[in-house]
Amino acid sequence: MIRYLSSRLFVFIIAFFLLTVFTFSLNFFFPGDPVTNMTGVRTFSDYYPVISEIRGADKNIAFQYINYMQNLLSGNWGASLSSGDYVFEHTYQHLFASLELIVGALVLAVLIGVPSGIFAATQFRGPIDKGVISLAMAGYSIPVFWLAQLLILFFAVKLDWLPITGQINPLYGIAPQSGSILIDIVISDSDYKAAALQDALNHLILPVIILSIMPMMLLLRLMRNATQDMLQKPYVKAARARGLNEFQVLIKHAVPNATQSVLQQVPLIFSLLLSNSIVIESIFNWPGIGNWLVRAIFERDFPVIQACVLIIALTILLFNLVVDLYRGWRFPIVRQE
Amino acid sequence: MQLLDIRNLTVEMKTPHGIVRVLDKVNLQLGKGEIHSLVGESGSGKSLLAKAIVGFANPNWEVTADRLWWNGQDLLAMNTKQRRAVTGRDMAMIFQDPYSYLDPNSTIEQQIVEAIPEGDVRGTFMRRRVDRKTRVKRLLHRVGIRDHESVIDSYPFELSQGVAQKVSIAIAIAHRPRLLIADEPTTAMEPSTKLQIHRLLARLAASQEMSVLLISQDLTSILPETKQLTLLYCGQLMETGPAEEVINHPAHPYTDSMLRMSLQTQQELPHKARLPTLPGAIPTLRHMPIGCRLGPRCPYAQKQCVKAPLATQKQQRVFHCHFPLLELES
Repeated sequence: MIRYLSSRLFVFIIAFFLLTVFTFSLNFFFPGDPVTNMTGVRTFSDYYPVISEIRGADKNIAFQYINYMQNLLSGNWGASLSSGDYVFEHTYQHLFASLELIVGALVLAVLIGVPSGIFAATQFRGPIDKGVISLAMAGYSIPVFWLAQLLILFFAVKLDWLPITGQINPLYGIAPQSGSILIDIVISDSDYKAAALQDALNHLILPVIILSIMPMMLLLRLMRNATQDMLQKPYVKAARARGLNEFQVLIKHAVPNATQSVLQQVPLIFSLLLSNSIVIESIFNWPGIGNWLVRAIFERDFPVIQACVLIIALTILLFNLVVDLYRGWRFPIVRQE
Repeated sequence: MQLLDIRNLTVEMKTPHGIVRVLDKVNLQLGKGEIHSLVGESGSGKSLLAKAIVGFANPNWEVTADRLWWNGQDLLAMNTKQRRAVTGRDMAMIFQDPYSYLDPNSTIEQQIVEAIPEGDVRGTFMRRRVDRKTRVKRLLHRVGIRDHESVIDSYPFELSQGVAQKVSIAIAIAHRPRLLIADEPTTAMEPSTKLQIHRLLARLAASQEMSVLLISQDLTSILPETKQLTLLYCGQLMETGPAEEVINHPAHPYTDSMLRMSLQTQQELPHKARLPTLPGAIPTLRHMPIGCRLGPRCPYAQKQCVKAPLATQKQQRVFHCHFPLLELES
């Protein structure tokens, strides 16, 4: 396990290094002067030489990278050009707002996708299996932005059951602290906590459901194929011959082994979720990282773009690491590979 | 009464090229605590016979028989559930490749515990846990694994092939079956492991009154304790009878050829001498000869061999051949 752990950590560190090299190089890839881009100080300004000096813009590139890394690790990520806020605090607030959606969608996808995939596998090639798989195929192919607008039109506008956009009704006056609205409500000193929570959950329903559809269908198909595969394995047949009933065979042998192979794909599903969340957040005006990134791109807010790219990639890397470690811990055969 | 009584078992397989008869009217009788060896080359249908007995059903197969009786019960008349209950209670099977028949993601302990019948352990929850653990240890000792500590928490891929095979035997005997079917259990194993496993099977048969149906590819790897010997070729029964008699006085040309092949592995052949094999190759499923399927390869074959020979019985021996090598008293 220690060998596996260290190899995974090593891969993570290498990936993190490459990632920071990339975000650092963004300084120079954005059109214009790097110092102006990152600080907003124009070249003809009196402050320009001072700022240049502080940022070490005239030193060599390795020095600049080390300087960048020091700032990065000490939480000094610069200030937004459009709002003047410190980027670091806002980055994690926006990230938590996004994670609220993403985690919700992932949980929903797992809760529905995995059991229906297993169920479809037991009905392999039967009418139910075919129906479920065609539905999954359709669900996977529907464009998210179109479906989102359709559902808003139906549930929010026509039926008026759910709010159209946003995280919460601003009248509740919940001050953003962690970024995640549910946590913010719990730690706030509002007099209407229960009502605010209710309202926040209402706001969550639509985006979470829409975001979860694609990964849900993907998980369903993966799980169905993997389980079906495992049900053909000799050890499953042997377990059947030993007198185990179909349910025991499924729970004890087919599903754990199918999970082992599906888990490999879960980080991919997570990055799919993150990229889809950019679209969903823009549609629902959710104050998440994706929405922020899109706005920053329109506003040429370079420090924010840099921070968003870094934090999105880092989240995916971390998630990957966690899944890998879990796989290695739960399924020792993985460590052999 | 015989424990297992099979009369004219036929298995037909649906292929894209029509129906192929992969087992053709095979008979097999097995008594209590008896070791029965089933010998045949690859494609002879010996594994298929074993699978037909334990009901490893494949929807593509059509299994018919005049009799498929287990302990006086007709297995073919049962539905899947009843049959699984009977085979799960009374039979067990071990295979050539132990790794693929062990769940790669469960520990050895979990897999053996799963095979111990629920009725064997009683008492409170904690009592049952402890009881199961001691049973697992005892089973591992019985199959000749002394350091159970290291094996019990291992996963199959961490074990050597010999140990993995012993574990699968432990799983097989956990519910004290009355019949153990061993499908080429020692192929590709080193000689010492092979010998250990063979002795283990013989000991189990003797001490637990467990019948063993041992399937092997050649006559060199059958147990010395074998009581009955059956030879299959391309799904047809060639010869069956008490092992000693069959080996010392083969009646069927096929038995004779197999014996000479196995003897040749022990004697030295002269330089550039021909191997005493039968001419030709094993026919493919699509091109099965009519009549006696050994016909095209048999050195004694004549015109009559296009008709399947009827069974000839001589004392306890049965063989299917028009031209047996054995003198028949008229």
